[in-house]
Amino acid sequence: MDGVLHLASPDPPIGRNTLLPVEAACVSEQADDQTLLRVDSINKQYADQVVLADVTFDIRAGEIVGIIGPNGAGKTTVLEVLAGILPAETSDVHWLGRPLPPSRRREAMFYLPDGVRPYQDQPVTRVLSFFADVYRKSTDEITNTIQAVGLTPVLHKRVHSLSKGYGRRLLLALGLLTPHPLLLMDEPFDGFDLRQIRDIVGVLRGEAAKGRTFVLAIHQLLDAERVCDRFILLADGRVRGAGTLNDLRARTGLASGSLEDIFLALT
Amino acid sequence: MRSHEILRVQDPPLRPLLVKELWEILGGRALWTMLLLMCPLIGYSFFQAVSLYGEASGAGLQSQVLAASLSPLDGVLVPTLGASYVAVTLLFPFVAIRVLGQEKESGALRLLVQLPYRSSTLIAAKLAAVLVAWMLSSVPAFSALAIWRMLDGHLSAPETLNLLFGHLLYGLLVGAIALFAASVSESAATAAIVTLAFTIGSWVLDFTVAGHPGLLEWIARLSLTQVLRTFEQGLLSAGLVVGIGTAVCGFSALATVWMPPGVDVRTKLFRSLVCVLAAAIIFGLATQIRFSVDVTEDQRNSFPVADQRVLAKLAEPLVVMVHLAAEDPRYADLQRNVLAKLERVLPNLSIRLAGGWQNLATSAGEDRYGEIEYTYGGRSDISRSTSPREILPLLYGLAEVNPPAPAPGSDYPGYPLIAGGQLALLWFFCGLPLCIAFAWWRSRRLPANHNKLTKEA
Repeated sequence: MDGVLHLASPDPPIGRNTLLPVEAACVSEQADDQTLLRVDSINKQYADQVVLADVTFDIRAGEIVGIIGPNGAGKTTVLEVLAGILPAETSDVHWLGRPLPPSRRREAMFYLPDGVRPYQDQPVTRVLSFFADVYRKSTDEITNTIQAVGLTPVLHKRVHSLSKGYGRRLLLALGLLTPHPLLLMDEPFDGFDLRQIRDIVGVLRGEAAKGRTFVLAIHQLLDAERVCDRFILLADGRVRGAGTLNDLRARTGLASGSLEDIFLALT
Repeated sequence: MRSHEILRVQDPPLRPLLVKELWEILGGRALWTMLLLMCPLIGYSFFQAVSLYGEASGAGLQSQVLAASLSPLDGVLVPTLGASYVAVTLLFPFVAIRVLGQEKESGALRLLVQLPYRSSTLIAAKLAAVLVAWMLSSVPAFSALAIWRMLDGHLSAPETLNLLFGHLLYGLLVGAIALFAASVSESAATAAIVTLAFTIGSWVLDFTVAGHPGLLEWIARLSLTQVLRTFEQGLLSAGLVVGIGTAVCGFSALATVWMPPGVDVRTKLFRSLVCVLAAAIIFGLATQIRFSVDVTEDQRNSFPVADQRVLAKLAEPLVVMVHLAAEDPRYADLQRNVLAKLERVLPNLSIRLAGGWQNLATSAGEDRYGEIEYTYGGRSDISRSTSPREILPLLYGLAEVNPPAPAPGSDYPGYPLIAGGQLALLWFFCGLPLCIAFAWWRSRRLPANHNKLTKEA
């Protein structure tokens, strides 16, 4: 766990692949009752190149967590391994204290990748209806989501003709239509201007207030500072620090430092 | 407040998934482009077939014997649907690949695999979409059959349905190969190359090695083109249907294994090996199924009914030793006129090529070349004929049974027809393309709930 700050979790580290169901139940009782997701260790490498090295962190229910790091830090890889759509050498994840294997991750979380334009030849309405029908959502729920993310002006358009910002809104709407308690979002503010970011942050805050949890991979530190309750600082595939802005300031001794200052100090 | 327990979506609805796949295949241009290209292709083939059939019918109308050789199955159905086969071989892979390849390229697959469906359900829904695409791509062929009926042409329902069933299986097989190719390829272009390597590759295989003896003949049997040949001959073979079904399921299973992005390659390779082994076992069993039905109206694949009844009662093994090279035309005659029919009716038949791997050039000079030796119940006889009229009495003699009396009134009359197909050309070159363009335009409409959602939002 070299250099990793464990400000969020009071639990001692747990050995990889050693939890039996009974032990898992004990850990569950011991765990902070706010801990929704516990990532004990993610290791991922391509050939000889280590992409993620012993990535460990906790996520609490109802918070907005930012995975922060420069391009190439491994943010997307963390999310994809976490979501179970990218295999990894190790990926020990616990949900409410119970082990959650990769094949069952989709039951707990939904991942919205970066740069995806799903079903480009279809009108926006049809794509939304597909997701809503899969999860048996009512028309009211669909219209509420459309209003929340501001998709009304482009409902008739085909996905390929959407601007980058509306493409993002569509993806966000799809994520909001899913019933998962945890949403993983890769670069959710890419393509938005300041005002749009504020609108979307409002939507995320509203959802978080209802108990939904968000993990956002963001490379713009200013955006992250504005949105997230807690941060996981990632560089070169390693977690360099984790906690609230104040926790990180205390850790680095930068009493009034910005997230950028703290990041530079820790990496 | 929202519950944090993990979700157990019980029985996720299949309808939205199927509807999505349907719209995806209708929303792309590949299907409509293929349909437009098929119109002149099938139209011209049909026109040519009707014209040639009409020319042959001129003589057939003068002579009952010549008329008996005129079958719409060979004269019209096979050539018309042959054009459909060419289109399915060359163009259909691009339509089928799109079902999965588009989602892979756009990244939508990463969303799809997170929905509460099993991978096998996702692939089954995609195969259902491929089936719908094949049905739509068959519209030009169906319209050709309808025109043939309007021209007073004869269609035998069993023959026609059997041939269409064969084309359906072939379409599904190409579709399953395309799905597998799309699942292992990163781009649709690569998937197209992989699929065409199968379809055109087996086409080439069929051209180059078919008719050669030994190993080459066995390799030629792996050609996808062979799939249709039995159906074109008017046979519904249980073994072949099981074999094609296994191939479709096998490629679909491989697509299911390779589609999910979250599984490591080693696990995928192991699961693939299991699929291939299971398919190989079922293939092996399928080759042992000899049951087939002759669905032709003229019963060309069977001996006369009276002879069939007598032959079916011959319980002892019949061994046929053929002293002919496999590529000798006489062997092809013998195979078609006698051996294939015997295989269908005799419970215990063994056919051996005396020359083994020898070819025509090396074995033609042998003394016994051309002889066919039949052994039954310890008795044997030799013939050089390839006609059942001579061989059946020989077999009855060996089995010491009386030849049956021929059943009267069961002769095939033949269906000569002189018809002009010029109006059909107008349909295939103008009417049908306009209908397809209209259908494409209608498919671009907004969904039914669009207005409601817009109003409420």
